[in-house]
Amino acid sequence: MTLQRIVVVGNGIAGLTACDSLRSAGFDGELTVVGAERHHPYSRPALSKALLHGDDGNSDGALRAHELPPPTHEATELLGVSATGLDVDARLVSLDGGGELPYDGLVIASGSRAKRLASWQSGGPQPEGTSRELTLRTIEDAVALKERVSDRPSVIVVGGGPLGMEVASGCLHMGCDVTLVSGATPLSRQLGDHLAGIFTSAAIGRGLRVVGGGKARLVDRGDSATVVLADGTELEADLVVTAIGDEPNIDWLAGSPLLTDGSLRVDSRGRLRPDIVAAGDVAFFPTLRGVQRVPLWTSAIDQARVAAVGLLQGDAAPEFNFQPYFWTEGFGLSLKAVGFTPVAGAPDYCEPGGESGSALLRWDNPDGSGTAAALNYRIPIPRLRRLADAGPAALRPNAPARV
Amino acid sequence: MRIELDRPRCEGHGLCEEAAPTLMHLDDDGELVIDVPDAEGADLDAAKAAVRVCPVAALRLAAA
Repeated sequence: MTLQRIVVVGNGIAGLTACDSLRSAGFDGELTVVGAERHHPYSRPALSKALLHGDDGNSDGALRAHELPPPTHEATELLGVSATGLDVDARLVSLDGGGELPYDGLVIASGSRAKRLASWQSGGPQPEGTSRELTLRTIEDAVALKERVSDRPSVIVVGGGPLGMEVASGCLHMGCDVTLVSGATPLSRQLGDHLAGIFTSAAIGRGLRVVGGGKARLVDRGDSATVVLADGTELEADLVVTAIGDEPNIDWLAGSPLLTDGSLRVDSRGRLRPDIVAAGDVAFFPTLRGVQRVPLWTSAIDQARVAAVGLLQGDAAPEFNFQPYFWTEGFGLSLKAVGFTPVAGAPDYCEPGGESGSALLRWDNPDGSGTAAALNYRIPIPRLRRLADAGPAALRPNAPARV
Repeated sequence: MRIELDRPRCEGHGLCEEAAPTLMHLDDDGELVIDVPDAEGADLDAAKAAVRVCPVAALRLAAA
């Protein structure tokens, strides 16, 4: 059946890319995109990177680094509207405010939201302490955080992943006293001990205090917020920023037959069923390392491209071959990585760059794949991919291109 | 459509080169070079993909 009406739920980079890809693949029917945020899509990675570090490239103080070019997909955009339910038999998406959208094809790209420390302990009503807990997920979060940080408060960042480290770096850059609470060496779970060690050393060198500690609890004591660690240690600060992960926005799908053990798991073409695909932070998808959710920029874009074609062409569509790309910045370091992470141990190949601390690194992974990383080293991603896939010989002059 | 680069925004990720290798590349210093500034037809799809994938929106398409 030729699809006449496609609804895209979610207007982040996955939803936007899905709309673009549907048009590129020839869909000229009625396209509607529903976005819970009141804005056109923007670059979420920029929020924790350029915005907090203040090098936003303009002088009028406005936040710009996150802005993307305006959409060209000519979809009907319903902004500031959430999907609240789905009837897969009647093919209807229900919206807050009471409206319904019929579809022949549906793209689920409803993204994820920040987990909050204050809701960790119980599923009940918002406990005390929530007012001092900031997270960083949306442009509103970024504006609020930037404003709070400009007074140079003391800050506790809870969470030693890339987001927590980028926020900590940004707060240090703004002149705050910053303590980072992390269960393991920051970034070790994401990158492995070698790269984590480099970042953590640089962070400590710039004045970051790193405190170990498992599950933390937040207590509001009026003048300050207190983070209580699992061992009873209490840390106090003016401001607590939590970066403890994200959870998929699937509440609106509760009770629908799309969920498997409470999650959305798509096939290799992004499909949940022939008329429904999913992409981006909301979706689990098959990779060479098993079924995963990979809430990162290029992952969302690549998934959305695959899912759009999967919706239009079914089994004739190409399968997804996920090629991870990850980058982070902070503490004077810039890292790009291609291939699966974390990587074990020290790199098997290291080529120093022109400047101190600059290097190209490569790991041979036990599964036969390679991971390549560029540390303070400008290199095109296709070249970094060749290093990951084919090893250092691929970087030599006159090396044959990867086929 | 004309591919325009806002050079100060470019962080040298090179995801655009991956999306449109025939239209642009990062040179040996990691600076982006637009090889084919005017993209039409099949090139236009590649150019759109390149613009879209840039996490810092350093690329734009403008009427030629």
